[in-house]
Amino acid sequence: MKFYVCIKQVPDVNAPLQIKEGELIQDANRNILNAYDASAVEEALVLKEAHGGEIEVVLIGPDKASETIRKALAMGADSGSHILTEGSEEFDSFSYAKILAEFFKDKEYQYIFCGKQSQDTDSGLTGSMLAEFLDLPYATNAVGLQLEGENLIVKRQGDTGQEMIELPAPSLVTCSNDMNDPRIPSLKGIMQSKRKPVNTIAVSDLKNGLTNGSIKTSVVGYEEKPKREPGKKYEGEPDEIAKEVAQLLDSAENVI
Amino acid sequence: MSNLLTYISVNDGKIKRSSLEVLSRCNEIAEKNGKTSSAIVISDDCSTIVENLKSYGPSVIYTIEDPIFKNHLNTPLLKALTLAMSEINPDVMAFASTEGSKDILGALAANRNAAALADVSEFDWTGDAVTAKRPVMASKIISSVETKGSPVILTVRSGSYDTVEKSGESKVQSIPFTFDKNELKLTLKEIISATGDKVDLSEAETVIAAGRGVKDEEGRKLIDELAAVLNAGIGASRALTESGDYDPSLQIGQTGKVVSPQLYIAVGISGAIQHVAGMANSKVIVAINKDPDAPIFEIADYGLVGDLYKILPPFIDELKKIKG
Ligand SMILES: Cc1cc2nc3c(=O)[nH]c(=O)nc-3n(C[C@H](O)[C@H](O)[C@H](O)COP(=O)(O)OP(=O)(O)OC[C@H]3O[C@@H](n4cnc5c(N)ncnc54)[C@H](O)[C@@H]3O)c2cc1C
Ligand SMILES: Nc1ncnc2c1ncn2[C@@H]1O[C@H](COP(=O)(O)O)[C@@H](O)[C@H]1O
Repeated sequence: MKFYVCIKQVPDVNAPLQIKEGELIQDANRNILNAYDASAVEEALVLKEAHGGEIEVVLIGPDKASETIRKALAMGADSGSHILTEGSEEFDSFSYAKILAEFFKDKEYQYIFCGKQSQDTDSGLTGSMLAEFLDLPYATNAVGLQLEGENLIVKRQGDTGQEMIELPAPSLVTCSNDMNDPRIPSLKGIMQSKRKPVNTIAVSDLKNGLTNGSIKTSVVGYEEKPKREPGKKYEGEPDEIAKEVAQLLDSAENVI
Repeated sequence: MSNLLTYISVNDGKIKRSSLEVLSRCNEIAEKNGKTSSAIVISDDCSTIVENLKSYGPSVIYTIEDPIFKNHLNTPLLKALTLAMSEINPDVMAFASTEGSKDILGALAANRNAAALADVSEFDWTGDAVTAKRPVMASKIISSVETKGSPVILTVRSGSYDTVEKSGESKVQSIPFTFDKNELKLTLKEIISATGDKVDLSEAETVIAAGRGVKDEEGRKLIDELAAVLNAGIGASRALTESGDYDPSLQIGQTGKVVSPQLYIAVGISGAIQHVAGMANSKVIVAINKDPDAPIFEIADYGLVGDLYKILPPFIDELKKIKG
């Protein structure tokens, strides 16, 4: 059984950030493995531990992103492919999916796992785009996975409840962070990760995937979110503050 | 002809308000720029939906009807939308942002070679590029985005626009569709539906959200009582959906749902950015938390500092009095 997991390096949303003249300034030292991808790696590890198999992670990103591949290898993935970019390109989900589709074209696998979305942009597009380009059945927003023979039973979070879906191999699943708590790499894992194979491919070698017009959306600027007016804190006797706020919601806000 | 097409989301036979918000916005853009705005209903039973849709005056109401659409399944929905887009040829195809539309957005864009924008909070189109705003970095900042080429497919956050009725004849046109079970590729084994006929969280006017501070049965009872007085939807932080105390469909935040009610009451929630990402656009925010330094107080209009078990009972009593 071969599992591929598509992983992305993203800026940590908890790190301080600044906007200067519409540009977003972030600390490149606070880049992390996308939390949803960490859950996808974790899920592949759990399946491998129970059923055997091999896990390869795939990442498109600049040289510096190799640390994120190491992180997934330290968690326990077996090998990595690094599709190396210059770092200046402004790819969107469509172009990432095109490049990934070109990468997967001649690969053999049972399952591809993606994160359900990137933590920084919350797009949630790449996974199902890739599935469509590869003509694979897919399920998004998975919160639980089980293997039955070669078929995957996916529990996915829908609008009003969960749906259980059976997917044959090969297929693709996008993972929610609600499915598990990704393991923290052990010291042994970190040591071992240094000896695990990482195959580097220049993105230009996959340019077949990236025909003219593959980048279909672009960011033209950033702005601060309008700040909310500072509110009021009520401290004191529970009875009194409860009563006071309840009345204000009625008389001052008219929302009840 | 240049046009906009809105997909009408349906839940339990009822049109989701968020898709009427999107249609209203498309109507407005069409009017402003001399384009047409149409709608598409894909359902196992379109007739009542079509009737109810007429008061929003789309130029054409397209329908695709088939029993397969009784439950959400991405393969048939994708086939129907692909077919509709190739027949109707819209420049802009707009959806309300729901788990159902998120499930197929990317695949549809890949299939139609279209630009895709997920979860926008504003959008406009004059005939060239679509321009839009998207909250990013866990909704800490807003990015302005632009598309290249046509068509463009987008999903819109609920609460971004008002619903506006519109007079005018709507033509109804059904698109023939067949679906063979062999095309399914995947199987729906079971639906674990939890929310039943409770208030739809993503469209509720009032939302009560419970966090880790709500520790036990007694706390959950207080939440239920508060929700009942205010006829509110109940949501939860990840802490309580993860623990199993609340159904995962009720999670509010970056992983969960985005809500934008008139009144949002956070009970025992610290206010982590991933939670705030899903509720910061609420009109009035009330927070009850015993820690005076909890980050939720930075965004709350009314911050009640104290033990929720002591504050909720008199709060509920007072609300009951006000409501008469
Ligand atoms: C990628 C990612 C996505 C995420 N997505 C989401 C999401 O969609 N939604 C979400 O909610 N979280 C999400 N999280 C998790 C988020 O970071 C927080 O861990 C979570 O929101 C915390 O929930 P909480 O506020 O209920 O719990 P805590 O942070 O533990 O806060 C509990 C609060 O209750 C207060 N309290 C305790 N007892 C009482 C009492 N008796 N009376 C009054 N107050 C009391 C405490 O002072 C504290 O402030 C995500 C995290 C990541 C990494
Ligand atoms: N640069 C990338 N390299 C590898 N996988 C990626 C990349 N970008 C996106 N993905 C995959 O797509 C998911 C997010 O899609 P999106 O939200 O559209 O950016 C991630 O969780 C990854 O699984």
